[in-house]
Amino acid sequence: MSDNEVTLTIDGKSVTVPKGTKVVDAAKQVDVDIPVFCYHEKIGPLGCCRMCLVEVEKMPKLMTACTMDVMPDMVVKTTTDKVEKAQKGVLEFTLLNHPLDCPVCDKGGECPLQDNTFKYGPPDTRMEFHRHNNAKATPLSPVITIDRERCIACQRCTAYSERIEQDRGLVMLNRGFHNEVGTFNNEPYDTRFSGNVIDICPVGALTNTDFRFKARTWDLTNAETLCANCGCNCNITMGTRLNELLRIEARPNDAVDDGWICDKGRWGHQFVHSKNKILTARENSAGGGKPTSFPTFPRDCTIEEAAGKVAEAFKKIAKEHGPESVGFIGSPYGTNEENYLYQKLFRQGLGSNNIDHKPYRDTPGLPIDHYGIEQIETANVVLLIASDPTEELPILDLRIKKAVTGCATRLVSLNDQKIVLDKYSTQSVQYKVGSEALAIDALANGLARELGEPAPTQDVGLEQTGISAEDMKALVETVRSSMKICVVYNPSALSGDAVLRVKRLLKLIAKVPTMECGAIPAAPATNAVGAMDMGLLPDFYPGGVSATDQEEIKKQWGEDTPTTNGLSALEMIARAESGELKALLVHRSNPVIDFPGGARVEKALRKLDLLVVHDMLETETTELAHLVLPSSGPGYDEGTTTNIGGRVQARKSALEATHAPDWKIISLMLNALGDETEYQKSLDVTDEIAKKVPGYQGINRRSMGKSGCTRESTTSTDETIAEQPTGSGEDGSLRLRVATFLFSHDKILDASSKLAHHFLSFTAHLNTEDAKRLAIKDGDTVLLSNEDVTLEATASISNRCQPGGVVVPRVSDWQGVNALIGTDGTLARVEVRKV
Amino acid sequence: MTQILFKNINMKDLHTMKVYEEQGGYQSLKKAFDQKPDEIIDAVKASGLRGRGGAGFPTGLKWSFLAKDVFPRYLCCNADESEPGTCKDRELLLKNPHMLIEGMILCSYACRIETGYIYMRGEFHDLSFIMDKAIEEAHAKGYLGKNIMGTGFNLEIYTHLGAGAYICGEESALLNSLEGGRGEPRMKPPFPAVEGLYAKPTVINNVETLCVVPYIVNEGAEKYASLGTEKSKGTKLVSVSGHVKKPGNYEVVMGTSTREIIYDLAGGIRDDNELKAFIPGGSSVPMLPASQVDVGYDYESLAAAGTMLGSGALIVIDNKANIVETTLRLISFYMHESCGKCTPCREGTRWLHQIVERILQHKGQLEYVNKLEDICDNMAFKTFCPLADACVSPVMSSIKHFRSEYEEYFKNTPVGSV
Repeated sequence: MSDNEVTLTIDGKSVTVPKGTKVVDAAKQVDVDIPVFCYHEKIGPLGCCRMCLVEVEKMPKLMTACTMDVMPDMVVKTTTDKVEKAQKGVLEFTLLNHPLDCPVCDKGGECPLQDNTFKYGPPDTRMEFHRHNNAKATPLSPVITIDRERCIACQRCTAYSERIEQDRGLVMLNRGFHNEVGTFNNEPYDTRFSGNVIDICPVGALTNTDFRFKARTWDLTNAETLCANCGCNCNITMGTRLNELLRIEARPNDAVDDGWICDKGRWGHQFVHSKNKILTARENSAGGGKPTSFPTFPRDCTIEEAAGKVAEAFKKIAKEHGPESVGFIGSPYGTNEENYLYQKLFRQGLGSNNIDHKPYRDTPGLPIDHYGIEQIETANVVLLIASDPTEELPILDLRIKKAVTGCATRLVSLNDQKIVLDKYSTQSVQYKVGSEALAIDALANGLARELGEPAPTQDVGLEQTGISAEDMKALVETVRSSMKICVVYNPSALSGDAVLRVKRLLKLIAKVPTMECGAIPAAPATNAVGAMDMGLLPDFYPGGVSATDQEEIKKQWGEDTPTTNGLSALEMIARAESGELKALLVHRSNPVIDFPGGARVEKALRKLDLLVVHDMLETETTELAHLVLPSSGPGYDEGTTTNIGGRVQARKSALEATHAPDWKIISLMLNALGDETEYQKSLDVTDEIAKKVPGYQGINRRSMGKSGCTRESTTSTDETIAEQPTGSGEDGSLRLRVATFLFSHDKILDASSKLAHHFLSFTAHLNTEDAKRLAIKDGDTVLLSNEDVTLEATASISNRCQPGGVVVPRVSDWQGVNALIGTDGTLARVEVRKV
Repeated sequence: MTQILFKNINMKDLHTMKVYEEQGGYQSLKKAFDQKPDEIIDAVKASGLRGRGGAGFPTGLKWSFLAKDVFPRYLCCNADESEPGTCKDRELLLKNPHMLIEGMILCSYACRIETGYIYMRGEFHDLSFIMDKAIEEAHAKGYLGKNIMGTGFNLEIYTHLGAGAYICGEESALLNSLEGGRGEPRMKPPFPAVEGLYAKPTVINNVETLCVVPYIVNEGAEKYASLGTEKSKGTKLVSVSGHVKKPGNYEVVMGTSTREIIYDLAGGIRDDNELKAFIPGGSSVPMLPASQVDVGYDYESLAAAGTMLGSGALIVIDNKANIVETTLRLISFYMHESCGKCTPCREGTRWLHQIVERILQHKGQLEYVNKLEDICDNMAFKTFCPLADACVSPVMSSIKHFRSEYEEYFKNTPVGSV
């Protein structure tokens, strides 16, 4: 037994636990149940409900097991007469004014108050007065309704708001018998993580407005699956009844979500029943594309038939115009199985490396360890680069807050905009929009100087980044002196080849003596890491094998697979515009809206001979498609996804689809192109991935279990980096940064979404200096324009970025902000003027 | 009788610096600054001074518990005098504010504190002006501020008004309130001496306690310790209220008999009625029947009698009073003041109130008395802070000593009248 452990006796059973453990948690380890209402292991002790009273030898009075740390040789008794009387007494008090509406209560059947009453409570009550009446249904926000009569004032929810969310949105109001859970000034409690209070409420007080009175909990079919709304892949339980999704709850997994989910995870899956869901294969006779000479689907075409026809059509074009005339834009939202099969289809079936899934630059693998999300807690420094976890990967936000306030982790950031987490950082260094390459190189050079390593690049000075020399020096010092650093960077917010510079920086960080280091590539999309691993890239095969590594590729993938780099997604759009690309298959992606270029992307796609879109919801791109195939998508599909921390987890189906799953459709196409593998189920593909993809060996249903397992990260190959980062001239225009906004009004959160109250209007965030120069005041209507389009926005003089830049949160699909960026995805410059 | 705190209490303009200094005020500072801080703590320990707020914890010991080498530290003077019956601190603040400041300077010097707060209950709004004025005067004289009397010791004192919650007199709820939070008690440990205000080591002392310190420094610990009984040293301010002829604050040497306080100092019972009961230490402590009126007024004698000295508020009840009604009034105070944090207190105080109210309406049943006792048992020592225990005290003690008065109410109750 080490110094950090304590041995005590609970009900005669000896247990050894780490110092600082609460008695109530120690009891769990020896299967002694101590009832609680207010205590929650993630929130910490409160001591409000008094349910956990136990007898401790040598203590004069009963103690609350939830607030008491274990002590050496402590003797705890939980079943003495004294304890039993206290438990009965406390339960009697708790139930004194609690309504007996269990028969209609949403919590009925899974209610700790019910359970504890059955187990520990008095059989009867001595209360002879009228129970106190209170408001039965008060909305706390559009998605949460509180039943004040049922509330037992345990303060779990308010403690969650204070300690986990750390913004005291939900507080106790009034005093004594009249205290109640509420918000300041009756404002709505509409934080990003508000829904968790529903899960933790030990009674039916905090209810899910959407689920209220819809079903009894024991009638639900619960699927243990994953959230599909961001790269964290939080574990959730989807409760369905009669093939209808009724509610989503958190399913704690310490390695991923720490037991919490964000509101988008909880209420952002309503699209599974959307009217826009694509349910059958169809031909767009009235579609925007030009008429095609390819075989059309008959009216009652089965998906199997359609898949075969699509494969034939692509084969025909590849034969006529060469394999480089066909391309595939996949999706960072697809499962590993779908992504794997698609790249196999294009590489083995069609011989093309024109495969990609993103409009930005990134390479697979890392030069240092790929940290899991939980490593943030043990790191002493977390460095954010171009990352805004609060909007992009909300659960990461909670984890960072926990680390900073509870684990003495220091947060530093190198960003081009102010973010919510700046409040928690010891240093926030802000570079000018578009100067990330210079800023990252400056950090790398500074670090190299400190370490006596050769500077990786020529020093170009900090002027163009807007960072002061002292700030950069302090940042270098923080990184150099850290004991364990976790770098969180968002490749999708880095322009040009800046992501390669981040990797160069990581290699340098690895050289700091006595330092543990790791990184989390924090792209916001659900399976961005998985898509990279599965080789949805023009220059890499699955597992980060370079497309030009002929020997390795021939061995793994056969003689006929291509060994030259293909076209990136943006290059494919450009080739479509120039007419060189003839056929494109788009899987679960909406380039018209999500890719830079706006109307020009649409124009380019219209020129294609054949555009096939395989998607779950109708989008601007499916409108252009000649042929549309239905995709199952989250809720219906099965497969694995890899989260930002490199954890591979199983996504299970909660609902029955009316059409064949994606993997089936793709495997039919593969069969039509001569591949003879017969996949019977999604797991067969998972098994093949385990065989063929480096890093995924041994990953199968058993090893993943309920909480997933970590895949092995591959080492990134060194890429050549253009020596001089591109500076920029000053011409009075502003550099545009499109920022992520969690509750963007898009296909996932459509107008009928429960979260519609979060939608924002089009705002352009300006720096005071620029606003003064352009004579723009806060709240003015301004026009943002480039040579193609002009968009209207409301100005906010928020100093969110340094002078010379403008930050526009992407608030909706219809906002069209990507039209302000050139189709090549390079830095956008916009004119901003007052109307 | 020896007077320490009330020596010149009714002297005109004692609250001004001029008069206070003429009476020997602030003389202790020079004496203290010639000593090491720890020597003052030792002196306070030797004096046997115990906290006058209610719990009676040895003051010197409390000061020595501060977490070593953690700075800054804070001093909070608890002037949230809310215990029903207690009004001693009010008189000190009103008439002798400089004595408190002097005491706070000594404590701060001893504990190496540079910031002090006087947390006053909201109803002391007018007193806060007197206090602020006194602080201003002390500043002008150089007793507060930077480099006090050339010693390099700095101290700032601020007044802070609460919003009128009884629970904020509980030290950790006071800290929450002072920080701008909700007035609810905190979990202990950590105790304030380790993590108090702003999570820093904090001394929290009652007004009366701090006011005693200048005397100890001036006259020496032995002189103070020579007063009183073995375990209760010095003098105590007693706020006598209720059915006496001359209610008010009196300073008595510890160990004085309660009879002497009621009959000599306070002039006896109103209308020369019979004494029925008395609550010796504020409404939170168990009441005693008239038969025990000779009990010595000190910590150990009262404890032996099954009650407590508490804050020193002697509430006198004569034989014209109805004990059940008195109990209801006390319960209703605690019901109103319960912060609502923990279940037995929030629900229990209200339930007790409902039951006693029904007894008074002649609608109760004999078993109600047993039920009251059982509910009290379920509340006592099972709550987060002692507020529920305080509510239980009058109920349990009134049933213990005056059970027959409760039973009177059931004599004419028809069966099944509930």
